Amino acid sequence: MNSQLTGQYIPGTSIMHRMDARAKFSGFLLLIAAVILTGTIKGYLLTISFILIIAALSKLPPEIATGSVRRMLPFFFVVFLLNVLFFESETPLWQWGIVTISIDGIAQGANILLRIVLILILSNVLTLTTPPMALMAAIESLMSPLRFIGVPVGDVSMILSVAVQFIPTLLRETDDIRTAQTARGAQFESGKLLDRAKALPPLLTPIFLSAFKRADELAVAMEARGYRGGKHRTKKASQPMPVSGWLALLLCAALCALQIFLF
Amino acid sequence: MEKMSAVKRAILCAACIALCYALPMAFHAFGAGSVFLPMHIPVFICGLTCGWPYGLLCGIAGPAISSALTNMPPVAMLPTMVVELAVYGVVSGILMQIVRTKRLYVDLYISLVVAILAGRVLAGMARALIFAAGSYSMAAWVSGYLVTSWPGTLIQLLFIPSLVYALMQARLIPQRYPKTKTGDRKV
Repeated sequence: MNSQLTGQYIPGTSIMHRMDARAKFSGFLLLIAAVILTGTIKGYLLTISFILIIAALSKLPPEIATGSVRRMLPFFFVVFLLNVLFFESETPLWQWGIVTISIDGIAQGANILLRIVLILILSNVLTLTTPPMALMAAIESLMSPLRFIGVPVGDVSMILSVAVQFIPTLLRETDDIRTAQTARGAQFESGKLLDRAKALPPLLTPIFLSAFKRADELAVAMEARGYRGGKHRTKKASQPMPVSGWLALLLCAALCALQIFLF
Repeated sequence: MEKMSAVKRAILCAACIALCYALPMAFHAFGAGSVFLPMHIPVFICGLTCGWPYGLLCGIAGPAISSALTNMPPVAMLPTMVVELAVYGVVSGILMQIVRTKRLYVDLYISLVVAILAGRVLAGMARALIFAAGSYSMAAWVSGYLVTSWPGTLIQLLFIPSLVYALMQARLIPQRYPKTKTGDRKV
């Protein structure tokens, strides 16, 4: 199960690794907007080049940077096929019943696929080059205006940070419990739906008990050390965004603007 | 119900968010991810045990983190799923606060069933009005939220109340109706 873990941070010293997490996360959102706004071949050439440069700057092995894309190939194939076969067009190339093959359908399928692949590559580069804690700190920093409408940003950020730190531990424990129950005769991977459903309580109950026990111990430890959260929480003074971060954001915003006004 | 401290609620919520990532990974490993709806279970547990604000956060952050790290659910499906799970977390939390029949399982089932219905109806409405406006039909809603997901719904109805009871018995969350002096407690 752990071999399927994607998006796990890979330490490195590339430009993308060293870039400020706030700039990376904001740039990621701007680039998603740019991908969605892209609608012409020229626009796609520009966006694809930009994203490929970012992927190259991250110095991640291509098979890792595109890992989730390759795993979802069957899903992509189905999405493409549905668009090719069922897209309603006024100029069909071939028609039989509800099945309509047209240039418009092929273009629509390619358009959707390209968008999904580009967004997947972007999200891979973001999570593979940014430590989870830095990502959470960036999200907290970007959410800070929500304080004014009463959202407890500090608490939310703490919960998200703890959740991210819990993930590897819970994955390992889930895997251990699954292996242990399989050794006791539970059938998760074969049998009818009902047999597999019957095998779930011996898996779910220990997983939840174990997760809640860990959470309980952590809560007791935090309270014993005087943690009260909310407005009582303090943190190290945050660093201002470096010039390189602002430059990266400017480039992403420029790409967005080009997609809106030029293409 | 005895009170849980805010810190403990927050950490339990964090554990549930992490389970929103870990459980689907385990279920997908044996090919039952999309049938048994594993991501829904921690959100319900969070809403029922920690309260609606934490259920809301779990319903939003759980699928978002899972999508960011594994692309499950895919980005295109994420907004609808966030709406559905957020409603589960909020409604189950609010009802667990309001409904007090002196019987734990009755409270749990009322909260759970109403939350399941509210989540599915509102997610369908969100798709029909916002995320897939004009191209979403009643038939698609019935097929997606009722027909294909029935094994997951059954699992939720059968296991979640027992899971909450097990957590109370293990003293990991406070008893909703603590034993009286005579030792009787309605379950």
